[in-house]
Amino acid sequence: MKGLAEHLIIVPVLLPLLSGAVMLLLNERSRIIKGGIGVATTVALLIVSIMLLRLADLAPATSGGPGVSVYQLGNWPAPFGIVLVLDRLSALMLVLTSVLGLASLLFSLARWHRAGPRFHTIFQLQLMGLNGAFLTGDLFNLFVFFEVLLAASYGLVLHGDGIVRVKAGLAYIAVNLTASFLFLIGASLAYGVTGTLNMADLAIRVPALAPGEISLVAAAAAILGTAFLMKAGAWPLNFWLPTTYAAASAPAAAMFAIMSKLGVYVILRLWTLVFGPEAGALAGFGGTWLLVGGMLTIVFGTVGILASQSLPRLAGCSVLVSSGTLIAAIGTGNETVIGAALFYLVSSTLGIAALFLLIELVERLRDPGADVLAVTMEAYGGGDDDEPQNDEVGIAIPATIALLGGSFIACALLLSGLPPLSGFIAKFAIMAAMFKVDGPAVQATTWTMVGLLTVSGLATLIAMTRSGISSFWARMDDSIPRVRVIEMIPVLALLLLCFGLTVAGGPTMQYMEATTQALRIPQGYVKGVLTPERSGPEQGDDNQ
Amino acid sequence: MTELIFSLAVGILTASGVWLLLRPRTFQVIIGLSLLSYAVNLFIFGMGRLRTEAPPVIANIEAIDPALYTDPLPQALVLTAIVIGFAMTALFLVVLLASRGLTGTDHVDGREDT
Amino acid sequence: MPSGVPLLAIVALPFIGSLVAAFLRQNARNGAAFLAGFTAFCGAVVTAMQYPSVYRGHVLRVGIEWVPTLGLDLSLRMDGFTWLFAMLVTGIGFLVVLYARYYMSPEDPVPRFFAFLLAFMGAMLGIVLSGNLVQLVFFWELTSLFSFLLIGYWYHNASARDGARMALTVTATGGLCLLLGVLLIGHIVGSYDLDEVLASGNAIRSSSLYLPALILVLLGVLTKSAQFPFHFWLPHAMAAPTPVSAYLHSATMVKAGVFLLTLLWPVLSGTEAWFYCVVSAGLCTLLLGAYAAIFQQDLKGLLAYSTISHLGLITLLLGLGSPLAAVAAIFHTMNHATFKASLFMAAGIIDHESGTRDIRRLSGLFRFMPITATLAMVAAAAMAGVPLLNGFLSKEMFFAEAAAFHIDSLLDHSLPYFAMVASAFSVAYSLRFIHGVFFGPPATDLPRKPHEPPHWMRLPIELLVLTCLLVGIVPAMTIKPFLSTAVRAVLGPDTPYYSLAIWHGFNEPLLMSVLALAGGVILYWLLQGYLAKGIEGPPLVRRLKGQRIFERVLVTLSWQWARSLERLFGTQKLQPQLRLLVGFTVLAALWPFYRQGLEAGSHAGAAFDPAFLLLWIVGGLCAIGAAYQAKYHRLAAMVLMGGAGLVTCITFVWFSAPDLAITQLLVEIVTTVLILLGLRWLPKRIEVAGEGLSAGFQARIRRARDLALAVAAGAGMMLVVYAMLTRPLPDTISRYFVENAYAEGGGRNVVNVILVDFRGFDTFGEIVVLAVVAITVFSLLRRFRPAPESAAAPEQQQIQDAHDWARPDRTVGDTLADYLTIPGLIMQWLFPVIGVVAVYLFLRGHDLPGGGFAAGVTMSIALILQYMAGGTRWVEARLKVRPIVWMGLGLLCAAITGMGAWLFGYPFLTSYFQYLDLPVIGKVPAATALLFDLGVFSVVVGATVLILIALAHQSIRTPRAGRPSISAATKEGA
Repeated sequence: MKGLAEHLIIVPVLLPLLSGAVMLLLNERSRIIKGGIGVATTVALLIVSIMLLRLADLAPATSGGPGVSVYQLGNWPAPFGIVLVLDRLSALMLVLTSVLGLASLLFSLARWHRAGPRFHTIFQLQLMGLNGAFLTGDLFNLFVFFEVLLAASYGLVLHGDGIVRVKAGLAYIAVNLTASFLFLIGASLAYGVTGTLNMADLAIRVPALAPGEISLVAAAAAILGTAFLMKAGAWPLNFWLPTTYAAASAPAAAMFAIMSKLGVYVILRLWTLVFGPEAGALAGFGGTWLLVGGMLTIVFGTVGILASQSLPRLAGCSVLVSSGTLIAAIGTGNETVIGAALFYLVSSTLGIAALFLLIELVERLRDPGADVLAVTMEAYGGGDDDEPQNDEVGIAIPATIALLGGSFIACALLLSGLPPLSGFIAKFAIMAAMFKVDGPAVQATTWTMVGLLTVSGLATLIAMTRSGISSFWARMDDSIPRVRVIEMIPVLALLLLCFGLTVAGGPTMQYMEATTQALRIPQGYVKGVLTPERSGPEQGDDNQ
Repeated sequence: MTELIFSLAVGILTASGVWLLLRPRTFQVIIGLSLLSYAVNLFIFGMGRLRTEAPPVIANIEAIDPALYTDPLPQALVLTAIVIGFAMTALFLVVLLASRGLTGTDHVDGREDT
Repeated sequence: MPSGVPLLAIVALPFIGSLVAAFLRQNARNGAAFLAGFTAFCGAVVTAMQYPSVYRGHVLRVGIEWVPTLGLDLSLRMDGFTWLFAMLVTGIGFLVVLYARYYMSPEDPVPRFFAFLLAFMGAMLGIVLSGNLVQLVFFWELTSLFSFLLIGYWYHNASARDGARMALTVTATGGLCLLLGVLLIGHIVGSYDLDEVLASGNAIRSSSLYLPALILVLLGVLTKSAQFPFHFWLPHAMAAPTPVSAYLHSATMVKAGVFLLTLLWPVLSGTEAWFYCVVSAGLCTLLLGAYAAIFQQDLKGLLAYSTISHLGLITLLLGLGSPLAAVAAIFHTMNHATFKASLFMAAGIIDHESGTRDIRRLSGLFRFMPITATLAMVAAAAMAGVPLLNGFLSKEMFFAEAAAFHIDSLLDHSLPYFAMVASAFSVAYSLRFIHGVFFGPPATDLPRKPHEPPHWMRLPIELLVLTCLLVGIVPAMTIKPFLSTAVRAVLGPDTPYYSLAIWHGFNEPLLMSVLALAGGVILYWLLQGYLAKGIEGPPLVRRLKGQRIFERVLVTLSWQWARSLERLFGTQKLQPQLRLLVGFTVLAALWPFYRQGLEAGSHAGAAFDPAFLLLWIVGGLCAIGAAYQAKYHRLAAMVLMGGAGLVTCITFVWFSAPDLAITQLLVEIVTTVLILLGLRWLPKRIEVAGEGLSAGFQARIRRARDLALAVAAGAGMMLVVYAMLTRPLPDTISRYFVENAYAEGGGRNVVNVILVDFRGFDTFGEIVVLAVVAITVFSLLRRFRPAPESAAAPEQQQIQDAHDWARPDRTVGDTLADYLTIPGLIMQWLFPVIGVVAVYLFLRGHDLPGGGFAAGVTMSIALILQYMAGGTRWVEARLKVRPIVWMGLGLLCAAITGMGAWLFGYPFLTSYFQYLDLPVIGKVPAATALLFDLGVFSVVVGATVLILIALAHQSIRTPRAGRPSISAATKEGA
């Protein structure tokens, strides 16, 4: 390997670990230093992941297909050693992670990082877990990183303490521990049948299995699938999600916006890799289930959005809608749709994260129960009668509230898929892709999907208008909440990014399509992982 | 026969674990989780098949014959699983204590059913 | 071909202006007004400058690539028709701004108002000039958004909030439908480009997707231009400031619908479906609107309903599908814009100057504001379709078309009569507007003393009314060329002959207008008495309140149903969730076996040994016992669980996994200690005799279900394990490990080599997990509040202290101190011994069972023994325990060891080793892996000790009653 550039792939895992460990050595009190280290690390992560994105985008195509960059840990060749694999998809997720990480971290500097000891360490290790999970090419190593990020997420859920968090945390931990058992069972079963843990190697060995073994592999896949669907928040395994996300502190919740996407990512990765068109008897295994499950999830999420009595819960439910959309899109198994879905993934993740952060600020200016009030007003037609009509002079809006209101509208547009933000393009792209796939005769699936997307968008709009009006327009008091600049910047930045996605829709879409192209031909990935020889100055002498 | 006993053992451990997992008291749940982790560890271990007197510690370094040793990889996986399982048990224990402290009950939902 | 670049300016200008206005000071009244006016004026001028080329029948185009892969391009186009519309939007926009400058009160923070207004104008122009259907929808939704902000401008009035919300909900919903419709059209045509769509009308009409596309597009259009049954939002939008109403409801918002209808007319019209849908909607709206308008008490309400009915008229004309009707529609769109804008402004002036808009209170204003009154009367006459005014001409056309024959149907035959009735109504409400407000005895109880407005405020009306007159009197010299360009642009070759003359001789239409006028006058005269009573709302349909229905439906659907659905299909409890998870997994895992079947393999397993059977009989009993005891006898359950664990250990030994056995055993010990430490904080639970039996039916059902689930899960696991164990091991990657462990990993104990070398990265992650968990536990216990009843000192301690109290020669706490002295002493002596064992385990790890983790746990056991023996204070007085630092160092040590390889150009975690000859211990492998293992050791000790100590510390804290911390209170809402 030549120079440190070769080691760039592992930096997203090592860097947060190092800074996290260093922070452990520091005194608990010295928060400023830690904050500094944390921000520095996260900025570095962002830069590195963007470099990796370019690296992945420019990777030369191999004979099998689009190429990938591989990092052999301990210099052991795949499939024996553990490898980190960088392709467009993982690079995309890395960038997304570090963007969210930076936003949430900045936000937390205002007050949340003081709410408990060792926040910064846990936060960094959360980033490490996510990055590792996105990069690793080994099934069991994936489990380990899942545990890392879950452990950190337990820490973050409980961060700030309090009954609600502990209650939510208990359920969250119990469910996830159970899911972790499933992961272990599935992974080891896969090993027992195929004799390997490396994903690329699995992709080779699974199609070659004897008929008698197939049902066992299928079972392993089903168990793993259940675990991942539960992480992704698919109905009916997702009831814990809105509660937990709503209970978590704002920065934590914003981070979690990507955790549910991790489940989606893994499904997409393994599914395209192992159960792709070449998978023989198991080609497209479980696709229908993904499709149906995804749709049901959208329905449940939509219902939840409408039924939610508080903004945090609303945000939690919109996580479900977004996951459902993605799962269903993957279920269609069509690359155009999945490409559009990837665009949607980015847009909705950014939007939801921004919303979680924003809510925290909006909550400061609303009186509790305003939502319920909003609905009862609607139900019993309060309003017209009890307020004077003749007051026809507008109210001057303080800059703070104007800013909050603007951001809130932006989030609403983003999540309900209305222009001018990227949500519109994302949904439009998915719908258009579904139609394009069908050709002249439009399938029932497409109608359902399109209908669901429309209805969920509408529901989001209705719900968010409801609570938006009640918290901005129908406020009881005129006090202006204290909002620090450092809290506002991340929200605005995330929203600006979404606007950027709209403007740069062309190139972004092209990247997504290149990504799905690569997913469609897994040979590129497989070859890329399995062929490279052990690296080193010269062959063989690496242990003398 | 041995295989049958082994798989029965896993089955029983799983069954009792799941039963406890579905109980309303946090203590029951944590015991259930521990039992489940035994079951899962045995499961992983079993994926390397069962062999007696063949520990994967290389005796003769001149001529290494893989056939002489049982599959070491599942053992390594189990080790990792044990460690992580231990950590999670500890965490869950503390969380259930905290929940008990704050809510005053040891019900998993933080309040007694009505 | 002239360039379309100016189009960009036309669309961009308002948005830029809006941005600038948004950053003006709250009280920059003139600045904002000037900015807005200037922007609108420039827009109008630039548009006007394009006329020559569109007159020559050119279509101006400009395109910028946006998302090519989706067929989305930013493309603008302008032909005669869109030119006319753009002219309206910008021109009337300018007048409205001028008017608003004087209308809005000085205290009002108008910059915001003008910012919204400009943004809205920009969005509207975007619709008009879009050369791409998706882009059109894009701007379409933007108009919904900005109209929402404009209508809700005075959001402190509940009516404004409700009106805004309703408008947004209805129009945005329509917009979503429109998007789907557009998607379908694009799907049929294969492109969203407007020109290509317009070119492929036949393909669309003949497609199987035509009907859904049509319906979806119509849903968009009808909601936008407030057609029955979606008309109800418009009157409530009147809560907006009057300039907004004058703009939205004359030239823009509602016209967007008919604009699109006209635009797609060549493509979609001409089918029966089109005729019936559009005509019936239009007709209903025409009649209903006109009828309701008569009985409004609010001036703006009257105008609102008349707007609805005029839009209905336009829709109806377009629905007829004949070219002449289309001409009439376009013509009337223009006329309506002019007279309705002026009427709204007039109403605004009346409101502004007299302080009310209520017709019942207004009367005889002619005396006070003759000029305004005259202007309003002319405009109203135009609305009524009085000759010599523009309204008359388009209405003549309408009558002609209504009388003409289209599709043989009752609807078609009855059209003329409906047409006459409707226009009679319009005459009536126009009369009411004029007569009720300007004539009669001078009003007495007005809030303000009415007088003429400032001249600049009246100027817009004057201009508009002038247009009405000119167009009405000399159409040929004024509107004709513009109209014909527009018509040609829409109808192309099949543009019909039409004349704009005022006098066509005595013919059907003329007769109909005369009848309508007369009828209107008579109707108004007849209604005088009823109207005088001043009852709110029109008779017959008064009960039918669009708003209330809408709200009710919304609440029912979006709230009540949603909530019950959520309750039905969701849960907040943990148990059902776990049940679902387990059940789901069992089904998912067994499904493949059910499908493909599963048979045991042929692999000859290990030799049978009864001892093993015996072992697991015990183990099984332990497990079941634990499950049975866990509720009431926690200690027993724990012991039994330990038994099961022990049996597991032995099994590991049995099947040649010494490492696992050691680790399992050690972890077993630590876990037990942990749970023991925790037990005291749990509530007492005394078994009531026979409670299990007396449990309710419900509970028994639940138990039975759980039992079934548990058994199913167990059986499933057993099935899979057996199937696997009886299969021969496939060629696994482990072979490589065994072959290379010694040669390249430098260790005999393959498992350990895998852990620290082959798969060192796993271990790396694993220690991170330990560390994170330890930290979490630590910070959670920081805030730990024991429940009140378990806060007191343990029973035994109380007895001991009581004993001390009783004895004069003892001080309280002695007994506690002396308690278990001998074992305590032994434990203290054990410390070094265990320490040595730990080191030994650590060093031999690479070659024989052991390793960093085992050593670490052993070490922490040694430490915790000290705590047990001497008590927390005793230990911490003697030895400084800083577990967090150990963890930090451990992590760094592991990481840096791994990174060391970089210096030699190898990837992370590449190991280097050789054997050292140490005294006593003998030949020791000194691999860098050993350093890595040292890191593991340090982290494990740190983490384990931290957890144990944190828990142990709870007992020596001064107990406090449990209560939620502050941060919890804030989150209670969630």
